[in-house]
Amino acid sequence: MQGQSENEFELAKLLVDALNLEDVDPGEIDPDEALFNEGLGLDSIDALELALAITQKYSIQLKADDENMQHAFGTLRTLNAYIEEHSA
Amino acid sequence: MDQFIAEARSLAEKLPDNPFVINLHADRYLYLRAFCAALLAGQCTLMPPNRQAATLESLSESYPGTYVLGQGGEETLPCVSADDASVPEIPDQQLAAIAFTSGSTGTPRPNRKYWRTFCAGTRSNATMVLDDATSCVNMLATVPPQHMWGMETSILLPLFAAVAISDVTPFYPQDIADALDALPEPKVLVSSPIHLEALMKSGVRTRSISKILTATAPLSRELAAALEASLGTRVQDVFGCSESGILATRRTALDEEWRYSTIFTLTMTGEGVVISAEHLPEDVLLPDIIELTAKDRFRWVGRQQDMVNIAGKRGSLADMNLRLREIPGIVDGVIFEPDTGTGRLAALVTAPDLNVSDILGALRSRIDPVFLPRPVIRVSELPRLETGKIRIDAVRALFAELNSANQRD
Repeated sequence: MQGQSENEFELAKLLVDALNLEDVDPGEIDPDEALFNEGLGLDSIDALELALAITQKYSIQLKADDENMQHAFGTLRTLNAYIEEHSA
Repeated sequence: MDQFIAEARSLAEKLPDNPFVINLHADRYLYLRAFCAALLAGQCTLMPPNRQAATLESLSESYPGTYVLGQGGEETLPCVSADDASVPEIPDQQLAAIAFTSGSTGTPRPNRKYWRTFCAGTRSNATMVLDDATSCVNMLATVPPQHMWGMETSILLPLFAAVAISDVTPFYPQDIADALDALPEPKVLVSSPIHLEALMKSGVRTRSISKILTATAPLSRELAAALEASLGTRVQDVFGCSESGILATRRTALDEEWRYSTIFTLTMTGEGVVISAEHLPEDVLLPDIIELTAKDRFRWVGRQQDMVNIAGKRGSLADMNLRLREIPGIVDGVIFEPDTGTGRLAALVTAPDLNVSDILGALRSRIDPVFLPRPVIRVSELPRLETGKIRIDAVRALFAELNSANQRD
């Protein structure tokens, strides 16, 4: 696994915090591992809660009909890239 | 309309000659068309409690001759001409669908929906939720058509009432606002407390919704009032269960009591309230505790203790606890609803040789993901009475203590 960037680590902390994943160490999330289903096994309620936490922290509204967005929620790395791009 | 009927007829002729179909179409137009085609072909739509491969597989085993539509890879329908646009007659006694609910034993329990059940139920629902609308209502749903709430509103209402349904299922708050903006007035939003709470908290605002219909979980009066005030709309809360369909409604911002449709008779019995109706194949024991207050009114008191409802899915705690305790390495454990208000379940577990990730990993293949407890806290032993019965109040207290200690770390 390639290490997390500083922003990715911040996002990992937000994710663990917002979703109450007490068994997950933010620094241990593989940035290229799938967040949903396999990997961390998040579900659709998590997606809504995570989206809300992202809206509150980075002031961006997520949209599922955006094709990039479907890709964005794939891994920590793609989600962070989406946020960096849209909060600029 | 003519085009839709022609397409459904054409699709009906192309469907495999099997008795049961699982319709996974996410596009609501395609779902509705495939549902109608199945009706025309005399096939029964199975409504699985979730889309997990294991669930679909076990349903296919219980119902031999089941096939799946809407997973992609199907041929597209060639252009059809609307030469026969007469509205087809579906026999009253035809088995239209089977909805599954989790029973206390863990095996999903089938609820048979005959066409007459859907017909009478939907006519009653139209009067309850559409307020005698004189013009066509434009409906948008955030809930999937595969769930009974989505089926009764977004699929059946358009077949029986002046309702046009949007084919999209928006998920994030901004998507909901954009999809609503694309619709002509009057607009009705069909949703659930989880989606509505996210909409409220996101700060995304959209006005011009005539009405919001919500079901699947209790809606707080605060959220109902906040939605009404900030979106300039009315929020109608809908009460029902998969066995009975939509039973009652109220405007939660203002009303305490639920008003139920008079096609149902509610009777208090020793076991709880029994619902009977001419259109239901059998009487239904309500999974909730209610108090009948007037001829067509009741007050909701609570759920039967064992049942929980997370994100519109009903599950039995007793069953989840059985699954938890059958995991190798678990000495003892309990899954319960904490008082933290997170909307999730929690667990206290005694398992000296397992870590939390092991436990969650093992549970993931045994119970629906929405019921996965978080947090899972390991303890040396559970508070039990001498009789062996778990003291749930002591479990909650111990959890509150350990959980706040965890958060301080």
